[in-house]
Amino acid sequence: MFSIFGRIDRLSRFGFGLLVFLILLGLIGPYLPLGDPMRIGAGPRLSSPSWLFPFGTDELGRSFLPRVVDGIRATFLLSAVAVIITAIIGTLLGMVAGFFGGVADQVVARGADILFSFPAILAGLLIAAVMGPGQISAIAVISVATLPLFIRVVRSVTLGLASRGFIVAAQVAGASPWRVMIVHILPNIIGAVIVQLTYALSIGMIIESALSFLGLGGQAPYASLGSLLRQGSAYLTFAPWLVLSSGAVLSAAIMAVNLTGDAVRDALEPLKGRSLT
Amino acid sequence: MRILLYFLPKLIFASITMLGVSALVFLALRMIPGGYADVLLGPFVTPEAREAIAVRYGLDQPLLVQYLNWLGALFQGDMGVSMVTRAPVLDEFLRRAPVTLELALLALAFALAGGLPLGILAGIAPPGHRGGILARLVGALGASVPDFVLGSLLIFVFSVWSLWLRVGGYVSPIEDPVGNLRTMLLPALTLSLFGIALVLRTTRDAVLRVMTEGYITTALARGERPFDIIRLHVLRNSAIPIITVVTTYFGFLLGGAVVVEVLFSIPGIGFFIFSGLENRDYAIVQAGVLIAAAVFISINMLADLAYALIDPRVGSGRH
Repeated sequence: MFSIFGRIDRLSRFGFGLLVFLILLGLIGPYLPLGDPMRIGAGPRLSSPSWLFPFGTDELGRSFLPRVVDGIRATFLLSAVAVIITAIIGTLLGMVAGFFGGVADQVVARGADILFSFPAILAGLLIAAVMGPGQISAIAVISVATLPLFIRVVRSVTLGLASRGFIVAAQVAGASPWRVMIVHILPNIIGAVIVQLTYALSIGMIIESALSFLGLGGQAPYASLGSLLRQGSAYLTFAPWLVLSSGAVLSAAIMAVNLTGDAVRDALEPLKGRSLT
Repeated sequence: MRILLYFLPKLIFASITMLGVSALVFLALRMIPGGYADVLLGPFVTPEAREAIAVRYGLDQPLLVQYLNWLGALFQGDMGVSMVTRAPVLDEFLRRAPVTLELALLALAFALAGGLPLGILAGIAPPGHRGGILARLVGALGASVPDFVLGSLLIFVFSVWSLWLRVGGYVSPIEDPVGNLRTMLLPALTLSLFGIALVLRTTRDAVLRVMTEGYITTALARGERPFDIIRLHVLRNSAIPIITVVTTYFGFLLGGAVVVEVLFSIPGIGFFIFSGLENRDYAIVQAGVLIAAAVFISINMLADLAYALIDPRVGSGRH
């Protein structure tokens, strides 16, 4: 564990620290003395940032800082749930495709190609048309966009493993295909899955906030960082702190995930693209 | 011959993918709550009228027959009519396509102009070099700041201090080229940030890999100028991954710039599809998703062709 942290550089460590800080803030936010995110008229409407209201107030006089803190939790939670569900499905499909080959492989690989051809936000518009806007739709959009990532990587790693000696040995010893996949292949692809998980989480957060910004994500009173941005953008020119604060926090959260993801990749796949240094 | 043998399977796979996309889009629209009759005639539709609508539009036939009919119409360029304007959907898209194309080309130009030099710099800079750090920072920012955050920031800055650039108020480049540029630069810049990061990271990784090759050492030992080494050896050999991401990015730009077009009120394809959803004009959403996916698939196929033209090893069986 410590050797992993020793290898990553200052920027990645900063990203990881930021990620831990934001997740903790989102989790314990409701218990911190930040003010009530729902209390209407806590201060004057659209007042600029002050000691009492560090991120200013919104058009209903609600303190914006606790709303942003709640938004962090909503954004992380929805994206993480979506990406974890997708990772499980994608890993299973990728393993089946890579291990069994043949028709199963063709079906899964073409399916991944088909999903990959939909631009994420357009898939979001289509899904919003079919299912109506909401959190479930947002999760579906994130799944459509990130499933191909998991399938492709897991499939190619499984393909490389399938002919290795210990897999063949397990098969010769009479292990069932599912046992081989779960006991022998899964532990060897988990690193690749985790690397994709960090990329997918950052993509998921961007998609969630973009959908919320367009009004196609979770509906009020659900408020993620993207919905707060949408709310604030109506007052962009005379109350810019709403958009600037939620936008800055959102960007920082995505960057924290990205930097942590880079560090995870460097730790788990140290040779990839690092042959010079 | 080599190129044909290499390209033919790609073409078949692309056709299968496109068929799958069309089936998904067709099914998605069939699953919209409330039938076609409800959308067309409102909530107080009588069973007889519902029946008549179903017969008239072929909705009483099996799903597969409906799909094949729909597919047949697609091949003749019939994507249905807008329920709001009654105009053929395809015409509406073709009318707006140049706007989105201009935006995509501008954004692509910015992405290459920013991403390539920084990526090469990051790839050849010694550890701790200032340029390398700058490149990493730009890469991290570009991959993390969502386009609507940057766009909102730019709108704020340029609407408070009325600098030369304009927000909104699109004009055609034929009527007023300068005015067109004044409105298009900000959205193009907004879209390009992600592209800069994408090109930068890919270029850096590709250059890092190429730099370890023996022919670079040889070129250095021969005393070739660094500029020539980069131009003749490094760039040429890192071209394929760069082309891959650039085409994926361009495909995304052509169909997926919904958020930025809505934010800046650019009357392109993305804005049109979004307003289609808002007006419950689902024929537009359906056609839009289909067109975007088709463009994406075609562009990736062109990229496959480009690999074979650039690199004689591709598809020769010696790769």
